[in-house]
Amino acid sequence: MSNQHAFYFDSSRCIQCRTCELACKSANNVETGVRWRRLIDDWQGEYPHVARTFFSLACMHCGTPACAAACPPGAISKRPEDGIVVVDSAKCDGCGKCLPACPYGVPEFGEDGKMQKCDFCLGIGREPVCTLSCPTEALSFGTPDELSTRAAGKTLGALDGATEPSIVIVTWD
Amino acid sequence: MISTFCSLCGPMAGCGLNCYVRNGRLTRVEGMKESPINKGKLCPKAYASQQWLYSPERLRYPLKRVGAKGERKFQKITWDEALDVIAAKLKEQREKHGARSLAVLSPQHRTYKDYIYRFMIAHGSPNFGHSGICFVQRALGFAYTLGVPAIGVAGPDYEHTDLMIVWGANPAYCGSPMGTIRRILDARERGAKLIAIKPEMQPDAAKADVWLPIRPGTDGALALAMLHVIVGERLYDADFVSRWCYGFDRLVSHLQKYTPEWAEPITGLTSAQIRDVAHMYANAPSACILAGNAFDQMVSSNHAVRAIAILMAITGNFDRPGGNIVPTGSTMPALKSVHLRERYTQEWVDELVAPEISPGLQPFFEGTSSAYYRCLDSVLTGEPYPIKTVIAPGTQPAVITRGSKRMVQALEELEFFVVIDVMENSSMPWADVVIPVATMYESDYPFEVAQTRAGNWLMARNKVVEPLGDYKSDYEFWLDLGVKMGYGDDFWQGDIEACMDYQLEGLGLTMSELRAHPHGIVYDPKPMMYEKYAEIFATPSPRVSKAPYLPQGKVAVYNTTFEENGFSPLPEWVEPPESPSATPELLGQYPLTFFDTHTSDVYNHGWLRNIPYLREMQPHPWLHVHPDTAQARGINDGDWVIVESPHGWIKLKAVHTPGIRPDTVMALHGWWQGCNELDLPGYPVTDGGANVNVLYSTDPDKAFDPVVTAMPKQTLVEIRKCT
Repeated sequence: MSNQHAFYFDSSRCIQCRTCELACKSANNVETGVRWRRLIDDWQGEYPHVARTFFSLACMHCGTPACAAACPPGAISKRPEDGIVVVDSAKCDGCGKCLPACPYGVPEFGEDGKMQKCDFCLGIGREPVCTLSCPTEALSFGTPDELSTRAAGKTLGALDGATEPSIVIVTWD
Repeated sequence: MISTFCSLCGPMAGCGLNCYVRNGRLTRVEGMKESPINKGKLCPKAYASQQWLYSPERLRYPLKRVGAKGERKFQKITWDEALDVIAAKLKEQREKHGARSLAVLSPQHRTYKDYIYRFMIAHGSPNFGHSGICFVQRALGFAYTLGVPAIGVAGPDYEHTDLMIVWGANPAYCGSPMGTIRRILDARERGAKLIAIKPEMQPDAAKADVWLPIRPGTDGALALAMLHVIVGERLYDADFVSRWCYGFDRLVSHLQKYTPEWAEPITGLTSAQIRDVAHMYANAPSACILAGNAFDQMVSSNHAVRAIAILMAITGNFDRPGGNIVPTGSTMPALKSVHLRERYTQEWVDELVAPEISPGLQPFFEGTSSAYYRCLDSVLTGEPYPIKTVIAPGTQPAVITRGSKRMVQALEELEFFVVIDVMENSSMPWADVVIPVATMYESDYPFEVAQTRAGNWLMARNKVVEPLGDYKSDYEFWLDLGVKMGYGDDFWQGDIEACMDYQLEGLGLTMSELRAHPHGIVYDPKPMMYEKYAEIFATPSPRVSKAPYLPQGKVAVYNTTFEENGFSPLPEWVEPPESPSATPELLGQYPLTFFDTHTSDVYNHGWLRNIPYLREMQPHPWLHVHPDTAQARGINDGDWVIVESPHGWIKLKAVHTPGIRPDTVMALHGWWQGCNELDLPGYPVTDGGANVNVLYSTDPDKAFDPVVTAMPKQTLVEIRKCT
């Protein structure tokens, strides 16, 4: 969908500073123990020939969200106007079936037992604060068209999984 | 929304903050786009700072000790009563022991120091106790070799360079919103090469074309071997050397012994790696070096820094595009300093209880200073005279300097100890008086200036919320104490607004006029000029004599100022107190090299562990250890381990780290604090806790750089799984 809101992540510019994680928690007042965005630190190879890459993971508002399909009460839906995947906590019964359905392990459960995750900062009426805060502009957002322009000439990566995550990933060349 | 600026870390100016307030409470913060320092960006610490502001451990009222020292029994008193108690004690001690018996330790946030200096100078004590582990150490070697103290930090011209060396620095975790790491990544995207020199593959090293996993504390040996290669193979800029370097010929013969093969067993790098990095640096059309905090924390500090300064000079990379350059400044008129430098005399310098910088090189650019550790040590030794009162503003002697066990003994013996902080801290149990102060969100003072490439940014602090208790800003504390002591004429009779106005006089501004600019004022930069050698090399030093840093008006390759002060005129190698090459006899019992880092992604220094948003990211004090090293000892990822050196032991949680030298382990400095909200414990500051400073040598003959008092952050340890 051309009006889909999507993330852009340039792994060659991510420095694992975790500002995106904290900005998200602080702005959305996310409870302790729950993370809507988290940094993944990946090591490959044997010393001294090691490679280290980072990925900043949050809900990627998939084109075909498996979590929504797996949700018995139908609490998860994809907004037609911008493709943001939202959770209706009034409907969520905390059954947890969305968690194994998500290929990326995104759904989180807090004190009230209900699923919570990134809502693209809809709840606070801001553009996503993780992208605003990123000190190296590794993380940003836009529509798929805007993001492919931004990524022109760069090496692109893709995630495994058939849910069409709304993210453009630039990898380490 | 109210704009102000941050002071959670130590540089000369903080990041601009936009603060959202509802019903008098801070609800969230964002970066200020108008600030040329951070351009709308912040770090995790600032994003968690509303939890810091409202922490249950905030100090709300001044306290007076009523139990025994260390017993933690205090009684609530008023701000005014607290100042009376301190003033009475200082007056009594001035009579009995002389004013010099007062030492004030250096705070984390450095712009605050001039207000402290003013009090010290008005009172008559030269003993500002600087930590001896940050910036000043590096600055001295650069100042007395190239004439520019900050050249290793502020100097790299990333925008025009072909090669960057990030050396003993961590621009990913330190000041990440302030632009250094963004500039490095931009340069790399443009095609500049990046070399990272550090024992662990931290995020900047993960982006590097070349990572040199050097053994901790041996950077000076690498720099000398690089000089050997560059001079020996005549890769230097002969024109610059003949025109602008003093004593190069004597360097040539001096370097003969410092071959890459000599450096190999010391640094743990191969001679081929050392030759390669020397060739890359010398042969690049332009190259710059970011020299970090590691250089402040090695016994060979002055030598290592001078060797790097000479590298910059002889390769023609000093004040040329793409090298290490000297900014031309901005159109902002000079502020009036509150320091009282004009009152310095040579006798003042001679009174220092434990000169941090060698007395012949004092005052240095931040003022006169004694060494933090040695100020406290004088309490126990009485040599050359005992300090009787220590005031610790925003600093914690029990964890921040080396030799914590000795420091705790000194705090127990000390006649009078004053703690000033926003939060309960590790050293508070030994305090006689505790002074709470405002956070940056609770005060209208001071203003600050940031020097950036986009010009100088001047901004007044704006109060975001009312103070949560009976306290004022740190700045007002020193004014109020000055008045209580009878120094009111020097302290604007306690009027903080008048103190701010005084400093701004030259700008034709008052504090209230400055405050009318909600995002501050930016003064344009002057056009960049390169190769300003005649001007730079004539820079007067801040000593009483005002003698220039460089008496020959040239780069001090051969340093006659050092020679006159009894130090080696050429950079040499000095072994750490313990290391594989210095003390091979210890390797049987302590086979691993240990070192620490001062800043992680979510913490700096010795605080912030009680903030739930930060603590959940990094809940336990960690030990980075290579998986092979760990598995050889049966240590799994996540196991608690005992780390034991010849000087003490601590307990840390192992984190298997594939990108660290297998013969080396690393921990984070500053651990002691618990987090009540997450039910995580605190730790003792001495043996058995998590405080790295119990592990290091404080041997008077081996553990101090005699020029700048740098104390090592490397030793030998063995680790074993906790049972």
